Amino acid sequence: MRLRSLVHLASLNLRSDLRGTAVNTAAACVGAAALVFFVAFGMGVGQAARLLFPGDARLVEVVPGAVSLGAALGGGALDDAAVGRLRELRGVEGAWRRLALRVPIAASRPPEGVRMNWPTGFTVQVPVVGVDGGLVAADLAPGRKFDDPPAGEAIPVLASRRLLEVYNKTIAPAWNLRRLPPGLDLMGLQIPVQVGFSIIPQKTEDRVYDARLALAGLSDRVPLYSLAVPVETVRRLHKEYGKADAGYSSVVLEVARPDDVPDVAAAVRRMGFAVDEGERAMAERVGLAITVTAGALALLALLMTALAALAIAQSLSASVRGRTRDIAILQSLGATAGDVRALVLAEAGLVGLAGGVVGVGIAWLSARGVDAAALRLLPDFPFRPTTFFLFPPWIFALGVGVSAAAALLGALAPAALAARIDPARSIS
Amino acid sequence: MISLRHIRKCFRDGEREVEVLRDLDLEVARGGFTAVVGPSGSGKSTLLYIAGALDADFEGDAVVAGRDLRSLSVRERAAFRNGSVGFVFQSFNLLPALPAVENTLLPGLFVPPGSPALPLGQLRARALEALDRVGLADKAERLPGRLSGGERQRVAIARALLSRPAVLLADEPTGNLDAVSGEAVIQLFSGMVRDGVTVLVVTHEERVSAAAGQVLHLENGRLR
Repeated sequence: MRLRSLVHLASLNLRSDLRGTAVNTAAACVGAAALVFFVAFGMGVGQAARLLFPGDARLVEVVPGAVSLGAALGGGALDDAAVGRLRELRGVEGAWRRLALRVPIAASRPPEGVRMNWPTGFTVQVPVVGVDGGLVAADLAPGRKFDDPPAGEAIPVLASRRLLEVYNKTIAPAWNLRRLPPGLDLMGLQIPVQVGFSIIPQKTEDRVYDARLALAGLSDRVPLYSLAVPVETVRRLHKEYGKADAGYSSVVLEVARPDDVPDVAAAVRRMGFAVDEGERAMAERVGLAITVTAGALALLALLMTALAALAIAQSLSASVRGRTRDIAILQSLGATAGDVRALVLAEAGLVGLAGGVVGVGIAWLSARGVDAAALRLLPDFPFRPTTFFLFPPWIFALGVGVSAAAALLGALAPAALAARIDPARSIS
Repeated sequence: MISLRHIRKCFRDGEREVEVLRDLDLEVARGGFTAVVGPSGSGKSTLLYIAGALDADFEGDAVVAGRDLRSLSVRERAAFRNGSVGFVFQSFNLLPALPAVENTLLPGLFVPPGSPALPLGQLRARALEALDRVGLADKAERLPGRLSGGERQRVAIARALLSRPAVLLADEPTGNLDAVSGEAVIQLFSGMVRDGVTVLVVTHEERVSAAAGQVLHLENGRLR
């Protein structure tokens, strides 16, 4: 039997039993809708969580050991020699230094280059950390440099991408400040600061002078509530203010593959250093929780799809039994057992396809509805996603494909039943 | 055209074996109109199903339209039913959910692989042609439920004619029809015979057997 003939006859049969067709389509539709909805939800929430916890699976943050046994065992301060040894570890592609600035810096005036209603008398302490340029090179705005500048020039800084979001969603509304524009519009913005000034009594240095910080980029590799400056700038300031060299605050190792992280971390610990897994562990925990939840929901949806297949199987079996004579008539006209089997499968396939298309549509519309409700009901918070769902093109194929496959699976037994009908017995 | 020799057919009734046809012989020449008459339960329909390759579980030799039915595979029997014979049943056996024209074109959907199959449009045109031959072109889109008994039987005849078969097998074709409709069906059969179709009818109605060129009586499983 030709495919076109098969589809033609299957369509006619489905049209002749609109109620049964509608029930089977609805069963397939529910499974497909649930599957697509939950998978899209899991991916959407996962994406939102990655924005909130941008843990980089290839980074290992090395910090001085809590209990140091000294240089004899290779631990102790994170100095240049230690950085060199860390860089030599197997699997490590880069070692980037971080050095916290121990000279206070405060801002008492609004940034220049952006409109901002800075409260009168408001001073904010600016935590600063020096980082190697290589760590944030990819996040520098086009044309920006990240070097210690000559005297009198603005110091390039990078801010956390998340800080901008947190400022706009929590700090600005709380202090009634104007919100900042998106990242690229902020590049080149200059912040007048006082180097050596602290809002904490007794902490202001003997020498305080004016300087400027120039925003050169936004990066997820900068600690949330800090500004990153070149590590050479921090060393220069420490020298200017007579701060003793106490080694680097941390060293960020970039490994070739995420799978290498455990081995590198173990080697680091053997060297007497510790690994700060706080942020990465949090990102991993959140990621795992989302994966498990989304997986459970997808499993539930698959269960619903399996139930849909069972419902279709039951319904088609009843339909085949009710059409025994009709099938025998087709056999008397030349239909083979294979034709009859193919006909029942084609009917199920069409039902599955239709159910899948409708189900995917329902899932998409439901997602839009949930997004609209969330937008209206949820308060504004940092990294609140504009959508909780992700619909890559393949998810539509998944919904339709799984629905059709479930329907075909459900039709296997009824198709076999139909193919076994004896025309001579059934036609009279 | 139809040659049945030493046909034996049994059914099992629990532990008992019931012999319906015993050493039955039948010869029908090309273009012949043969009626087999006999009481209900005498095995007339069984004889027809054997000749039409619907029932392959029998003993003896059966050659119909040049094909040795016992040597055919399941798939070949289906192809034989599709192209070489046409069936007409007492209860019409139309698919109730399909309009007359869709019922008529059904055999064209099951053309076996390797045989030329018409596109759906042409198939539909041929079905309309067949309906026109039986005088029902104007009722092509009607469902069987909205046709009279005689009209339904004429749709069944149109369907049987679609593949232009060499042999037409009819099982009590006028059994559910009034006199006028029955007469129309008999006239159609006579016309087909004139066109060279071999017609084998099983019936217990005299008006049908009266139109046949050969009348055989089935009794105790044998023809005489």
